[in-house]
Order: sequence, then C-alpha cells, then structure tokens
Amino acid sequence: MKRIVAILIGGLFIYAGVIKVIDPVEFARDIDNYKMLPWPVGVWLALYLPWLEIFCGLALITRVLYRGSVFIVTGLISLFIIASIVAKARGLDVSCGCFGHASQHLNFSWHLVLDFLLLGGLLLLWKRPAAVA
Amino acid sequence: MKAVLRQSALLLALALLPAAVQALYLRERIPWQSRVAESDLVEVETARAWGANVIWVDARPVDEFERDHVPGAVSLNEDRWSEALPQFLANDWSPEKKIVVYCSAASCNLAEDVARRLRAEAKLPNDIRILKGGWEAWLGKK
Repeated sequence: MKRIVAILIGGLFIYAGVIKVIDPVEFARDIDNYKMLPWPVGVWLALYLPWLEIFCGLALITRVLYRGSVFIVTGLISLFIIASIVAKARGLDVSCGCFGHASQHLNFSWHLVLDFLLLGGLLLLWKRPAAVA
Repeated sequence: MKAVLRQSALLLALALLPAAVQALYLRERIPWQSRVAESDLVEVETARAWGANVIWVDARPVDEFERDHVPGAVSLNEDRWSEALPQFLANDWSPEKKIVVYCSAASCNLAEDVARRLRAEAKLPNDIRILKGGWEAWLGKK
C-alpha cells in the first residue's frame, strides 16, 4: 500500500514539475497571482520549484533520499494549502498552476480536496519509517 | 530527524543545479524585473497620440465595459473569448493598426492575458501593447 502511494505521489510530482519546467514564465505568473511575493522572487521560485518537485518525485519512486523527499513534499503541500486559503480569504481568484493549464479546470474546493488527499498520503508514508530505505 | 534534514538539504541543493542552468539558458527570455516587459506597455499619452491608428481593446468584464470605456473601444475578454474573438477579427481588426489592451488598473492581469492570447492564439501580427495603469490611468489623464 505504502509503495503504491509513494509511486502515485512521486509520479504526480514529476508530472507537475515537468509541465512547469517547460514554461517557467507561465508558472511565475501563477505565483504572482497570489500577490504574496515580489515578481523577481516569484521568477526564481518558478525556475527552482519545478526541479525540486521532479527530484522529490524521483526520490519517492526510487526510494533514494526517500525520507528527505517525504519531508520536503509535505512542506510544499502544506505551504500551498496555506497560500491557497489566504488567497481565497483575500478574494483572489487564482489558478494554482500546479499542473499547468489542466489545473485551471479545478475549482478551489477540488484543489483543497486533492491537496488534503496528498497530505494524507504523505502522512501515511511518514508514519512508517521501518519500511523506508 | 538528522538524516531527514541531511537528505532534504541534499535534494534542495540538487534542484539548484538544473534551475541555475535553465535560468542561464533562458536569461534573455525571462522578464526578471516585472511581470510585463516594459516594451509591451504603453503610456496613455503615447497611445492617445497614435490617434486613429489604434484599436482599443477593453479586457474588463462586460458590465464594466458597458458602464464606461475608452471611446471606440471593443469589448474582448476571456469570459466570452470564443464568441467575441471571431466578431473582433471580422468587424474591428485591421493588420496595419496597433492594438492597445486595457483592464481596470495597474494591478489587474486581464489585459496581459488578452494581449498574450491575441499574440499566441489568434497569432495577430500587430504591435500589441498593454495600457500602463489601465482604465484608472485613462480616467486620470482625461
């Protein structure tokens, strides 16, 4: 079970990373829509975060640096949930851009459901250190 | 926990390498300082000076357009893009004219999105600019 969850989450993060690596400027605009960071910071994040997602996804699947990747991915998802809720509370209508243009079709509630499912899966991985490399 | 932090630090550092390479590779194409390149913007005075050589595109929601708009402007926003774009191309577009897109204020992104779609999807060859400061700036210079 744990292995399947790790592969699913890893695959999802690789997909999300690759889509954003292709067009970092578009992702920078998605970050900027949250109105939380200055544009130049968002640009650097847009260049960096997709690669971090890809490396973490690969680590989850291959089980190399596994626990570090679970830790980082949990942090990323938690930060994203907080940023989404804050943006919603401020009345901003943002597309997270997590999965490129595909994510524009998901509304806020579905984003949250997906994020909490991911968070649940990650907590499952986190709780069983005996099975990790 | 120490091992987790060590692994995390390694992953964070590993991701820096391709990100730095990509940043170098794309350095000319990334707008580092602002969301919209300065060359894509136009001041109200400059756009006005272009006179009849401009097609004004209002990217705000229709109700705001109907309340008031730049004289002669055409309403073209993302909400009704698929129906409004063919109408715009058939009735208002001209290949020789410049296109100035505006939304409500400097902080809105609608004009930027419409301008990008006119370039990328409609593949218009025109000089397409975004009005600096949007409708608010226009009102201020009225």
